[in-house]
Amino acid sequence: MPRIERSAAISWEGNVARGVGLVSGDTGSFAELPFSLPSRLNAENGKTSPEELLAAAHGGCLAMSLASELTQAGSPPERLDVHVRIVMDEVPGQGHLVVGSEVEIAARVDGVEQDRFDALVAEADASCPFSHLIRATASVTVRARLNAT
Amino acid sequence: MAAERRAEVTWNGDLMSGSGTIDSVGSGAFAPLDVSWPARSEERSGAKTSPEELIAAAHASCFSMALAHGLAQAGNAPERLATSATVTFVPGTGITKIALAVEGSVPGLDDAGFREAAEGAKANCPVSQALAGVGEITVDARLASGG
Repeated sequence: MPRIERSAAISWEGNVARGVGLVSGDTGSFAELPFSLPSRLNAENGKTSPEELLAAAHGGCLAMSLASELTQAGSPPERLDVHVRIVMDEVPGQGHLVVGSEVEIAARVDGVEQDRFDALVAEADASCPFSHLIRATASVTVRARLNAT
Repeated sequence: MAAERRAEVTWNGDLMSGSGTIDSVGSGAFAPLDVSWPARSEERSGAKTSPEELIAAAHASCFSMALAHGLAQAGNAPERLATSATVTFVPGTGITKIALAVEGSVPGLDDAGFREAAEGAKANCPVSQALAGVGEITVDARLASGG
């Protein structure tokens, strides 16, 4: 069984309220993206945040899980559109927690019945490692539409 | 106050030969980024990202902010923190380990104090808590030499 490692690097300068960080992926696919406390807690301001990166990770994970489940069922998808919203909130006595991940999927797939599709979506959620992990603090909801126009 | 952050991903085709794109994120700070199964599961990823690389980025950024906050609250605001996170993914099993490493320039603090602050940030940052199911999360903290 291969062990795959993926890394990212951060530089942070200053205190948390006024400081700013830069985040880069070791593959080079994204580099020196700025993030800060305001970009994390306030309205989106063009900078990324840990929670936005989690949203992207969850979307990528579920897209691949569902592609895999559909393919194993004999109906590989033509196209999947996945939208993820990560919610962080202040929980009394526990500080800020990632409390929710709301996933919406629009799937274009030939040759699969609605019931079977719904079951495969549930399988994909169960087999996506990130969906499983994030339930430590978050409620995960996955809504998927099949061949909606 | 709840903060929401969002991302949109498109996938075309089957898992092994298909490919995906992180089309857009709410902030507009990055995207489009290509993702694929080979980029995720093979030793060499090319220049494509993967969910695990994004989790590494999320965890390292969350940890860095929690550490900056903890240090400043204790009266030792950092000048600079350089952090990395390495996520180990075993296909079929999941994410088995996250290794954080941080080098800090922190006036007025000794190594033991810095290590203690790093352990606290590891325990408390929201991404650490969301990923509490990972079997092993480690942190290696040291002060920058000559700083």
